[in-house]
Amino acid sequence: MKTILTTTAFALMASTALADTITLYTSQPNADAQQTVDAFKAANPDTDVEWVRDGTTKLMARLRAEIEAGNPQPDVLLIADTVTLEGMAQDGLLTAYQSPEAANYDSALYSADGFYHSTKLITTGIVYNTGIETAPTSWNDLSDAAVKGQVAMPSPLYSGAALIHLATLTGDDSLGWGYYEQLAENDARAQGGNGGTFKAVASGEKPYGMVVDFLAIRNKAEGSPVEFVFPSEGVSYVTEPVAIMSTAKNVEGAQKFVDFLLSAEGQDVVLEMGYIPARDGMGVPAGFPAREDIKLMDFDPATALKDAEANKAKFTELFGAE
Amino acid sequence: MSVLTKNGGSRSEGWLLSTILIVAITLTLAPVLRLFVEGVTDQDAVGLSLAGEVLRQPSTLSALKHSLVTAGFGTLVSVVLGSAFAFLVALTDLRAKAALVFCLMIPMMIPPQITALSWTQIMGPSSVLLKTLGMAPPLGSPQPLYSAQGIILLLGIQHMSIIFLTLRAGLRAIPQEVVEAARISGARGLRTWWQVVMPLTLPSLAAGTAITFVTALGNFGIPAMLGIPAGYATLPTLVYQKLAGMGTSVLAEVSILAMLIGAVAVTGILTQRFFQSRQRVYLVGATSRPLAIPLGAARLPVEVLLWAVVYTILVLPMFGLLATSLVPAYGVPLRLDTVTLQAWTEVLLRQPVTTRAFANSFGLAIGAAAVLMLLCLPLAWLMERNPTRLSRLFDSLLDLPYALPGVVLSIAMILLLIKLPFTDATLYGTIWIIFFAYLARFFAVMFRPVQASLKQLDPAMGEAAQTVGASLFQRLRDVIVPLSAPAAAAGAILVFLTAFNELTVSALLWSSGTETLGVVIFNLDDSGETAMASALAMTIVLVVMALMVLVQLMSRRFPKGVVPWQT
Repeated sequence: MKTILTTTAFALMASTALADTITLYTSQPNADAQQTVDAFKAANPDTDVEWVRDGTTKLMARLRAEIEAGNPQPDVLLIADTVTLEGMAQDGLLTAYQSPEAANYDSALYSADGFYHSTKLITTGIVYNTGIETAPTSWNDLSDAAVKGQVAMPSPLYSGAALIHLATLTGDDSLGWGYYEQLAENDARAQGGNGGTFKAVASGEKPYGMVVDFLAIRNKAEGSPVEFVFPSEGVSYVTEPVAIMSTAKNVEGAQKFVDFLLSAEGQDVVLEMGYIPARDGMGVPAGFPAREDIKLMDFDPATALKDAEANKAKFTELFGAE
Repeated sequence: MSVLTKNGGSRSEGWLLSTILIVAITLTLAPVLRLFVEGVTDQDAVGLSLAGEVLRQPSTLSALKHSLVTAGFGTLVSVVLGSAFAFLVALTDLRAKAALVFCLMIPMMIPPQITALSWTQIMGPSSVLLKTLGMAPPLGSPQPLYSAQGIILLLGIQHMSIIFLTLRAGLRAIPQEVVEAARISGARGLRTWWQVVMPLTLPSLAAGTAITFVTALGNFGIPAMLGIPAGYATLPTLVYQKLAGMGTSVLAEVSILAMLIGAVAVTGILTQRFFQSRQRVYLVGATSRPLAIPLGAARLPVEVLLWAVVYTILVLPMFGLLATSLVPAYGVPLRLDTVTLQAWTEVLLRQPVTTRAFANSFGLAIGAAAVLMLLCLPLAWLMERNPTRLSRLFDSLLDLPYALPGVVLSIAMILLLIKLPFTDATLYGTIWIIFFAYLARFFAVMFRPVQASLKQLDPAMGEAAQTVGASLFQRLRDVIVPLSAPAAAAGAILVFLTAFNELTVSALLWSSGTETLGVVIFNLDDSGETAMASALAMTIVLVVMALMVLVQLMSRRFPKGVVPWQT
């Protein structure tokens, strides 16, 4: 009896790959990933999606271990930033796919060879707890001695968006590495991902923070005591691209998934979840300024990829993080 | 204790013993050996250059220091709390002792990451509970638990039950007459305790302290949840962060770290064994009646105090967890108009990862319990009947995978199974690597109760069956199994409980689709989904409590010493 139970339990556990299942690795928050998958399944009832969520860095480490072991799991990746995917494309780990939907996108938002396509715009700005006296308006307000020990930010060693944020701000003439040095002197805490940073701000443990826009704006709508600011210098941005692995077992299913995410229908889901859609002419979610009013800071993916390791090392040195 | 005869065995028994013993040794000791080999080789040659390099890194040294500090002071907190409770419960005439003991056991059974999660919900400016009561500290106050002190406090609470249990067992071995003699000679309460009871319990206190230190050293859940946000790494969390951030490329490096943790742990284990062997103070007299020194007028205040402590370490954090799981977004106070079951429905009904993790944890826990039962029953019986040199050696070493920190075992398992010998296959990233790790880790949890119950069996039973011509299999089936079934059942429940909640091993071994419940809670909190993490943690606490109540209800059928909170 016991053994029968065990075997059935293991049979249940063994991921019996259906004829049409795609495996997705994503760094979206759990609830969003589920909503994305649900919408895709509603549009494609005969394709099933299995998905795994983790921070970009950890997810990539896991994927690298799988590749080394000769058994990469995912068909599709939907992760924070183009830099990571550009690196993977250069290593020959991605399949090129020219989605017909790409015609409705700014050419800066997808790889010319079709290795990856952006799905949304996620900017990083300033979040603050509504319990404070004066609202910050500029990045420099966070390095001000008056807020010493009151600032939280995600670690670039963990979050893809944070690494791009670091590359963007340090590449800015008026801010540069000097800005991060001031933050470190100001005891800004850089640990974990955006989720933990938002938590610290919403809870009032650290009243000021740098965080991705949707977390703050969405939770504010739910009643969290926070406000989000687009600083005067502009915001850094990532575009959450989707890509197909070169080792994908189900290429057709993966292409369907990419097409769906880029379609008007898929972009409506993005809007509904509270993100700025990447597709042209889609509008913005409630609580956001009009898209043309959002000032994006300059950012060069090629440079960011080249400097990624050096940036991480320099950051570790400044913030003494492991 | 029955006297063993070497000629009671048969050839089939010897054959079966060797077979099972080989399986058991492969499971439990091979990984540890493999790790040792990794530590002393460098690029396939024997050498310690890499080891020296890793041990000289500042991050290693600071993590070692943090590990020793948190485990050391955490043990101190455990000793103070656990021994105060043990002395009062074992020696005085407190009322409702059984209920008190049961409540004290709960922290040991609740996984550390849930302990950490629940405490962070009641402290700091973020506390939904304090916000709701309007008592939250001002904006910008740090979360006090994100510090060495926070880790120490929670490690202390998490492991106080270990001290409580070992000390109480030691106290129960003290004959009533000794205390009575002291009292007749005119020693009053405190003096009796200090001059008579205390010296007699020192060995068990020392043994309990050593094992608590080793357990605290290997704890991952608490320093991970409280230390990582503060940038405070202990050895286990350092291994986790290196492996999670860099993948298997740093395997050689983390192996050295794992050996370092192992070395500290083994020192602790040897200390514990030393004191355990000194524990057999030969006291004359039966321990029929438990001691009951009357507390007199102090009884009620003492009882109130003890229950207040239980309330603080058990009930309050659970309320915090519950409050957090019922708000729509983080930082919202809990009021009638804000209360929502959103997090509960999302995590329990919509997130496939939860369903998957429930299936995984449940399957792994049931599977481990079943397989270990099949292995341990015959093995314990055969080792009892035909002790060989090999089986004695195994007996003294089989606690290692359980006593060693989980991180050490995980790294050992990765080394052993990442490339299966003679094939191209790997078990890394599959559910099986977690399963084998669980078998190794919980082998002792199953084996010891079964062994204890078989020691109490009269060998004449089996011999009688043998005389009338019963085969080995028949004797096992009709005599040994029915008689040791209750102990095996208790062992199985313990294995199930610990495996179901396990995080340390699976944190390093999980992969897509093989998440365990511990991993899911840790990851949910890590990604800022605190309300969901709290809802899932609450669910697991309820499951654990239900299982504990079940064990409690069945406890009358188990032999003495099987249910951990009823020794």
